[in-house]
Amino acid sequence: MASNSSHSHEHHIVSTGTYFLTLLALVGLMILTVWIAGFNLPSIGPFSGTVVNQVVALVIAVAKALLVITIFMGVRWSSTLAKLWVASGFVTLILLFGILGDYTTRHYEHQRGWEARPDGALPRSTPDEEVIPPANANDLNVKIRQ
Amino acid sequence: MAAITPADHGHGHDSALHHQFEDIGQQNDSYIVGMWVFLSTEVMFFGALFFIYTLYRWNYQLDFYIAHEHLDVKLGAINTTVLLFSSFTMVMAVQSAQLKKRMFVIGYLAVTLVCAFIFLTIKYFEYSSKLADHLYPGAGFATDGHAAFGEHAMEAGKLAVNMNHAQLFYSLYFGMTGLHAVHIIAGILVILALIRLWFNKAKSVTLDYVPTEMVGLYWHFVDLVWIFLFPLFYLMPKPH
Repeated sequence: MASNSSHSHEHHIVSTGTYFLTLLALVGLMILTVWIAGFNLPSIGPFSGTVVNQVVALVIAVAKALLVITIFMGVRWSSTLAKLWVASGFVTLILLFGILGDYTTRHYEHQRGWEARPDGALPRSTPDEEVIPPANANDLNVKIRQ
Repeated sequence: MAAITPADHGHGHDSALHHQFEDIGQQNDSYIVGMWVFLSTEVMFFGALFFIYTLYRWNYQLDFYIAHEHLDVKLGAINTTVLLFSSFTMVMAVQSAQLKKRMFVIGYLAVTLVCAFIFLTIKYFEYSSKLADHLYPGAGFATDGHAAFGEHAMEAGKLAVNMNHAQLFYSLYFGMTGLHAVHIIAGILVILALIRLWFNKAKSVTLDYVPTEMVGLYWHFVDLVWIFLFPLFYLMPKPH
């Protein structure tokens, strides 16, 4: 038993104090996010106050998630292989959310009527006066159909 | 037997080490990696729902905001605290398992279980109030929109919220918190089984801490999902 790689036999025992401080930090962040949600934060650059509020709430949620993952789930003390698997799920999630790029790239669309961002409920062929072709359509090499 | 065993690992029947592993360290790493493979699939499972939420929230900001005002932030915050605390007691159960303090393991697991029941009880009252106001998706959805959504939903004497979009919000609310609650119930069953094993001094859990740790990982994941559900459903910023 003692002959090979004794380091992998030992498991890291984290102190109660560390776990308790983590809990305090988590509850503190929870109170912070509820408190901040009570304010209408000002807009920053092109982002409206609503977006700023939402981003702040999500940043706090990510901070809480990181505390839970690294300390409570012990990933900080895990093997590299385990860390790779931890990352895999979240990387997949980021790729999934990349699909939302569809909403900001519609002006590259060559098909007339498809330039506007999809509003979800209407079929593609719905006539809609509010579908505005991009002003600089020709800069984008878009062939407007007559 | 001796002929096909490459080396004597020095473990008898009282060892937690299974024959396919070289040593306990390798076995424990394998267990943890396996658990994370499962949790990755769970991230994708919930991830798809979070994606649907993002898509409709993006399109129907105002309707979602008005619909969300029926949710009680106070109850949501209490439930968040309860789950965070249960994660703490769970991690303490794992630490006690490492230190082989059997009664502490059982005690901390029991507290975790109590927290799970408190969470579900609060959720029960929340769901009841939605059902009472007909805020569940279906033909009779919010028949009295004024009563359900209050003054915010009214503009110049008529309802200013698109009921289809509000219904979408509540479909997502029940779908996502419901799936989360199913995970809590599964967690309760697994923790009960774990308490039973510890109570019976079963060697499968007492010889090594990792089986307890795996249940812990699952429970922390359930907490993780709620950490995102709480701000997205209860703390929606007012469009401004």
